[in-house]
Amino acid sequence: MKEKISHETTLFAEPVSHYGNFTVTNALLSSWLAVLVIIVLALMLKKKLREVPNILQNIFEIILEGALDLCDQVTNSRALSMKVFPIAISVFFFVLINNWLGLLPIGGLGLLERGKEGMAFIPFLRSGTADVNTTIALAVMAVLGANLFGIFSIGIWKLFNKYVNLKALGQIFTKIRQDKTVIIVAPITFFVGLLELIGEFAKVASLSFRLFGNVFAGEVLLASMAAIIAYVLPVPFLFMEILVGVIQALIFSMLLVVYFTISATDHDAHEEHEKHEEERSHHREHIAVS
Amino acid sequence: MESIISTFHIDWKIIVAQAINFIIVFVVLYIFALKPLNKLMAERSDKISKGLDDAKKNDAMLKATKAEYEDMLSKARLEANKIFQEGKKEGEAKKSEMIEKGKVELANMAENNKKALQAEKVKIVEEARKEMASLAVLAAEKVMADNNKPAKQGK
Repeated sequence: MKEKISHETTLFAEPVSHYGNFTVTNALLSSWLAVLVIIVLALMLKKKLREVPNILQNIFEIILEGALDLCDQVTNSRALSMKVFPIAISVFFFVLINNWLGLLPIGGLGLLERGKEGMAFIPFLRSGTADVNTTIALAVMAVLGANLFGIFSIGIWKLFNKYVNLKALGQIFTKIRQDKTVIIVAPITFFVGLLELIGEFAKVASLSFRLFGNVFAGEVLLASMAAIIAYVLPVPFLFMEILVGVIQALIFSMLLVVYFTISATDHDAHEEHEKHEEERSHHREHIAVS
Repeated sequence: MESIISTFHIDWKIIVAQAINFIIVFVVLYIFALKPLNKLMAERSDKISKGLDDAKKNDAMLKATKAEYEDMLSKARLEANKIFQEGKKEGEAKKSEMIEKGKVELANMAENNKKALQAEKVKIVEEARKEMASLAVLAAEKVMADNNKPAKQGK
């Protein structure tokens, strides 16, 4: 009797081969393929770069200009956009190609491995982003990168005070005579800073699990549809997954731009500016009344 | 935490490998695509803005030249008209002067002709008179000669 081969979509990326301590998973293979695709595309673009653009260059230019405009809408500054944009667009392409590689029919190629519950099929390709290791790597780099960017933009002391607000605690002693409420406000501000620090870890978790969840759910959905009516039913869902791939890549890179922008913003200066604006408007009103 | 790590097979080595993958993508895209493409697009944008500026300048220059040309043309027209009018006036004056001169000359010529005719007439009459006188003398001589001839024959 022919042995049944199980093909389950697992929560984790399946190992394809081992090199000593290092396990190569199918998601890692997909990521390497994604890197290769991006390198080939970049080299092709570089080789065919002309003043009058060809089709590939045209597509890149359209994407680049659209993405830069989108970046401007978040940062409100072209100078800041130009700094963040290379990282954001790289994340976008890396996530996008990884998302799409999982949709390729060559995911049907793989290994047969004997497991605890009999023979199991392990596909060679699985979306790189359908492995939480990839999304964690990206999320950690995004959050660390944002904080490093913050250090270069506003300085290490200001960034440190964002999380461990010693400045606010110090105000208890310096401003107590002018404003008695500072004794309540300053500790709250200090704890808000600590919450911000926890928020940074939450950012890693939310970024990584959002992307992983969406792409993994897409793979499960496709597998389920194929189990109901193979070849036919997954087709419309494949189109949807192509779209989901773009949307998720866009969300991830836009959030990265948001985090970088927040890190590069000097909140004290911003508050002082707002205070000045308020005073100025009060002054104007006073003049208008008198 | 342990359960999350074991459920999702979180492996720091794969995380590092994926981070390296992303760094490679970033470096390759930045060096081979973004930097040269941005440079090219900036150059093109500069060229376009320079072209637009030049076009604006050329347009302004064209307008100025056209205005100058129109101005010169209208001035030339006015000048030509003035010259034409002056020429016309001069021509008219010359024409009337010449007509006047012609009239005077004609009158003079008529007068001269009249005088010449008169003189000729007087001369002709005088000559006729002289001719008549000589003819009369000749006739008288002939008559007298005829009268003398029978007398001689009678003899």
